[in-house]
Amino acid sequence: MAEIRLANLAHAYGNGSYALKPLDMTWRNGGTYALLGPSGCGKSTMLNIISGLLKPSEGRVLFDGQDVTDKDTGARNIAQVFQVPVIYRSMTVADNLAFPLVCRGVPAARIKARVTAVAERLGLARHLTARANRLTADQKQLISLGRGLVREDVSAVLLDEPLTVIDPQMKFELRKTLKEINREFGLTMVLVTHDQNEALTFADTVVVMNHGEVIQAGSPQELFDRPATAHVGTFIGSPAMNFLPATVEGDRVVLAGTGLSSPLPPGSGPLTFGFRPEHVGTTEGMALDGRIARLWFEGAEQIASIETAGHVFRARLPGTTASVGDRLSLRLPISALRLYRDERLVA
Amino acid sequence: MYRQKYLFLLPGLLVLVAIILFPLLFTIRVSFSSWDVYNPGLNWVGGENYGRLWEDARYWEALLRLTGLTVGTVLLQYTLGFALALLVWREVVARRLFRVLFLIPMMTTPVVMSVLWRTIFHESLGPLNPILEGIGIGAVPWLSQSTWSFIAVMIVEIWQWTPFMFLLLLAGLLSLPNEPFLAAKIDGAGPIRTFLSVTFPMLGAISVGAILIRLIEASKIMETVYVLTSGGPGTSTETSSYYIYIRGMRDFQIGYSAALSLTYLIIMIVTLTIVAKLLVRALVRDQA
Repeated sequence: MAEIRLANLAHAYGNGSYALKPLDMTWRNGGTYALLGPSGCGKSTMLNIISGLLKPSEGRVLFDGQDVTDKDTGARNIAQVFQVPVIYRSMTVADNLAFPLVCRGVPAARIKARVTAVAERLGLARHLTARANRLTADQKQLISLGRGLVREDVSAVLLDEPLTVIDPQMKFELRKTLKEINREFGLTMVLVTHDQNEALTFADTVVVMNHGEVIQAGSPQELFDRPATAHVGTFIGSPAMNFLPATVEGDRVVLAGTGLSSPLPPGSGPLTFGFRPEHVGTTEGMALDGRIARLWFEGAEQIASIETAGHVFRARLPGTTASVGDRLSLRLPISALRLYRDERLVA
Repeated sequence: MYRQKYLFLLPGLLVLVAIILFPLLFTIRVSFSSWDVYNPGLNWVGGENYGRLWEDARYWEALLRLTGLTVGTVLLQYTLGFALALLVWREVVARRLFRVLFLIPMMTTPVVMSVLWRTIFHESLGPLNPILEGIGIGAVPWLSQSTWSFIAVMIVEIWQWTPFMFLLLLAGLLSLPNEPFLAAKIDGAGPIRTFLSVTFPMLGAISVGAILIRLIEASKIMETVYVLTSGGPGTSTETSSYYIYIRGMRDFQIGYSAALSLTYLIIMIVTLTIVAKLLVRALVRDQA
C-alpha cells in the first residue's frame, strides 16, 4: 500500500518526441484511479513507468515518498494484470498463486496459508489443483490478480485493460470483485482503459489522456459537469456533449437564434458553447427551441437530435410522446452552460 | 450426377501410385525373392531373407549405432541450438549478422561439407591435429580409430544441423508474447526461473516439432558417413542406411536389401511414433 507520486515525469522514446508529456501527480493510498484515453495516448507508457518495466527519460517516481525510479520491477512491490490473461501454463492454479512467494523465498507453510486465503477470496478455491490453462479467461485474470494479492507488501495493483478479453456478463462480475478487493485490502489501484464506462464506474479519480498529455484529472462527476476540453466533453458521456459555435455581440457571447448567452470572457480565439444533453429540460433557463430531427429509443428516456436556427444538438428527454418533426420548447439552466475558447474551458 | 468428378482426382492418384504405392508394394514383393546379381528376377523364396536378417548381427549393430548417433546428435543439436537462439533473441549487438552466420552450415551441401570436414580431420595433412598439438592436447586419430571416428561423424552432424534447431527455436522465441515475461519480472523471478517456468514451457510444442523432424532426418544419415569414413574403420561408423546401401548397391543383393529396408522402415515408424507420443506428453503438458 502506498501513495504514488509522479514528479515532473515525462518519457520520450528514441525519436525524441514525447510519448508522455511532463506531468506532476499524486495518487493517494487506497484510491482507485483510471487512466482513460484512446490507443496510443500514453496511458500504457505511464503504467509501465510506474511498474518499472520502462525507465522514464525525465522525472522521478516516488512510492510513499521513496524514490523508486531506478529500482527494478521486482523490487517495487507492485502487481500488474495485463490485457491478455498471463498464467504459467505448465503449473496448477495453486502453483501459479504461489509463484511470487516462491520467487521471494517465503517459507512453505506461509505460502500455503496465503494461497489458500487468496484463492478463497477470489473464488478459486475449488480449482486450486486444476491446471491453470484449463480455466476460463475471467478466472485466469483472477489468477493474475491473485498473484499480486498473495504478496502482503504490494504497493499498488496496476490493471492494464484487464477486462477487454472477458465476456460481457463476466466483465461486470470481475469489476465488482476488483472494487471489493480495493476496499477490503486498501490497495491503490490504477486501471488503464479506453472504455469510459469502465473508467467512470470503477475509479474515484479519472485521468483523461490524449496525445501523451494529461488533459483532466478529476472525479467522474467533475469530468461530466466541467470537461476541461472539448475532447473530454466528447469522450465522456453518452451521447457526447453538445458543442455549438458562439458569436460575440457587444460584451456578451450568444448562440444566434436561441436564448443562449453568457458574458464575454477575456482573450481571443474562436468560442464554443458546450452543454450536456442531460441538462436540457423544459422548465427553466435559457430558451432553446427547436424541431426534432431524429429520435433514439433508450428505455425510459429518448435521445433527440434537435435542429434550431441552423444548429443541431442532442437532448436527453424523458419518455415523451414527441415524434420526429415536432417543435419543442426547451430550456437550458444557466448553470449547465459552459464556454470554450480554442476548445478549452473558460467559463 | 457429377460422376466425372472422380476423373479430376486421377492425376493426383496416378502420381501417388507411381511414386509411393508402387515402389512400396514392389519392394515388399522383392523382399520375398532372392534377386541378386547372378539370378535377377522375381522368384519366391518365402521368408528366407527375413530369417537371414534376423541373424545378421552387422545389421542390428548398425541399427544400435544409428540409435546412439541419432539420439546423441539430436540432443546436442537441441541444446546448442536453444542456447544460440537465446543468445541472439534479445537485443544483442549485430544480432542480424549472427543469425545469418549461424545458418551457414545448414545451407552447405552435405557432401561438400563432409569433404571439407574430411580434410580438416585428416590426420597428417589436416589443420585440426596441428592445432590440438599446439595447445597441448595432442594429435587425435580422428578417422582411423573406431571411437574417434564415431565422434567425428557426430561432430559433423551437430555442426551441420544445429542451425536448423537454432532457426526453429529462434522463430519460436520471437513469436512469444511479451506479457508473461513482464509478469515473471513483476513476480520477482530471476533469469533461470523465468526460463524454466515461462520460456521453456511456452516452447514445448515447437521443441517437439523440431526434435521429431531432426530425429527423422538424422535416422536417414548417409552422406556424412559415406564421404567421411565409408562406415569405417571396420564397421565402426556404419549406420543402417549405409549398410542397406552396401548390401543393395554394392553387393547387389536386391532381395535381401529390400527385406532390410522394409524392416528398417517398420522399426522407424513404430519407434518414432512412440517417441513422438512420449515427447508430447513430456513437453507439451498444457495441450494434453
